[in-house]
Amino acid sequence: MFHWLEKNPFFFAVGVFVVIAFAGLIEIVPNFAQASRPVIGTAPYSTLELAGRHVYIKNSCNACHSQLIRPFKSETDRYGHYSLSGEYAYDRPFLWGSKRTGPDLHRVGNYRTTDWHENHMKDPAAVVPGSIMPAYKWMFTNKADINTAYAEQLTVAQYFSVPYNKPVPMKDGSTKTVKMGASVAEANALALEQAKEIAADMKDQDVKDAVAAGEIPEIVALIAYMNSLK
Amino acid sequence: MNKLYLGGIIFTALMLVFTYISVGGSKGGLNGDIVNMLAVAGAVALVIITVFVVVKYVRQMQTDTAEGELADESWDNIGEYKNPVPMGWAIMFLGTMIWGMWYFIAGYPVNAYSQIGEYNEDTAAHNAKFEAQYASITGDKLVAMGESVFLAECKVCHGLAADGIDGKAANLNVRLEANTVKYVIENGSNNMLLGTEMPMPDRNGLFNANTGELITDAEIDTVSQYVANGMQGEGAEIFAGVCASCHGMDGKGMEYVAPNIATFDTALVTNVLNHGKKGVIGAMPAFDRLNAKQKEAVSAYITSLSAQ
Repeated sequence: MFHWLEKNPFFFAVGVFVVIAFAGLIEIVPNFAQASRPVIGTAPYSTLELAGRHVYIKNSCNACHSQLIRPFKSETDRYGHYSLSGEYAYDRPFLWGSKRTGPDLHRVGNYRTTDWHENHMKDPAAVVPGSIMPAYKWMFTNKADINTAYAEQLTVAQYFSVPYNKPVPMKDGSTKTVKMGASVAEANALALEQAKEIAADMKDQDVKDAVAAGEIPEIVALIAYMNSLK
Repeated sequence: MNKLYLGGIIFTALMLVFTYISVGGSKGGLNGDIVNMLAVAGAVALVIITVFVVVKYVRQMQTDTAEGELADESWDNIGEYKNPVPMGWAIMFLGTMIWGMWYFIAGYPVNAYSQIGEYNEDTAAHNAKFEAQYASITGDKLVAMGESVFLAECKVCHGLAADGIDGKAANLNVRLEANTVKYVIENGSNNMLLGTEMPMPDRNGLFNANTGELITDAEIDTVSQYVANGMQGEGAEIFAGVCASCHGMDGKGMEYVAPNIATFDTALVTNVLNHGKKGVIGAMPAFDRLNAKQKEAVSAYITSLSAQ
């Protein structure tokens, strides 16, 4: 057979490819599968957080903010533990970003709060002197798109087995269950429930009134998403 | 002496002159720098060795004839001499095999590069350096370190002047403001300020020992002003009746019972940094990723702000 292969360079090349590809598969795929599994403490996004993620994408926050902490002492001092690939298991698409005009946001939920985000999104320079970030005032009046977020939840739950309504392990040994509504109405109700918790920590009366009236401004969804980044 | 040797010598000389010119022409020349000298020595050695080797082999090609016993096999009429394996090559070959085994078994597994490994080494080296340089600083140096940590971590909420940016965060130039005291009296507090769960009751659990009644609205206003005023002015007797049993007559707190509400101190600030807190203004997240010395430094800085 080897003699035959030596006489047929095309099939020899095919044979070489098969051997190397097989070696690559058994070397790379198991490691890759292991690393992309969600790490303990990573939970799927709730409906409101997902709507906030859509706001984040819609306003191109990822053009100026990364979500990837590299394993350098200078970065972990500033942003916390370096990022692990499994922490992006529920990010579709991931929002690593490629440029930091502003700071990294991968663990912003650990060191910023709801009221800080509210002040900051309204007028960044008032909170951070010299900030060049523009104000995002329209987020306080635009309404978040809960229905699209719910559609995404349904899709990822069905096609990627994202564990909604199932307990996922947390770092402290407990479990957390992220609920997903069984219908559009239920999903909206769940989102509003979480929005009320966020709005309770906010100062803007218009936002509070809107949430009390059953509407969810984009800023509330975005803050829910920010707070979930830990 | 034939043309080949002559050409070799002339070429060597030319290359050495070229090396001399390019070194002399570069900024500063050798500059007494050991690395520059080594580089030039290397260049000179390289020129001489290259010319020597090339001349040797060209000469060999010109003069050598094949000799030795021919092997029986012939591959498409290409034959092979039965020469012994050259000793230098054989040593290299065996050496490579031995090195290969070492590298496979020990070299790679032990020395393989890992980004996280490098990070861990960096962190350990940095911590050791920090420990050596800053572990024992006190006084002004500690305050200066606290200020730099404050500017990196705290100023985004508390502001450059630590004034809380118009009520967006706590004003750290004073220990407490009246609205904070009032909020805590009315709603109670459980902020792990002692490092453990030690809730303070709300107004329905605060008795005035002087009157024997629950604290009243007027008393809350007066005592809030008193505490915010640095434990001065009207309200001392209300404080003594309601608050002093836990916070002490001077408001400096009691260990395991109540925090210091008269001044900032290291234990208080460290506990806030460890656990965060929630109050009338909003929530403050925990900053437990600072190390112990940095927390102490921040405490020193914050204490120094209201001490002036």
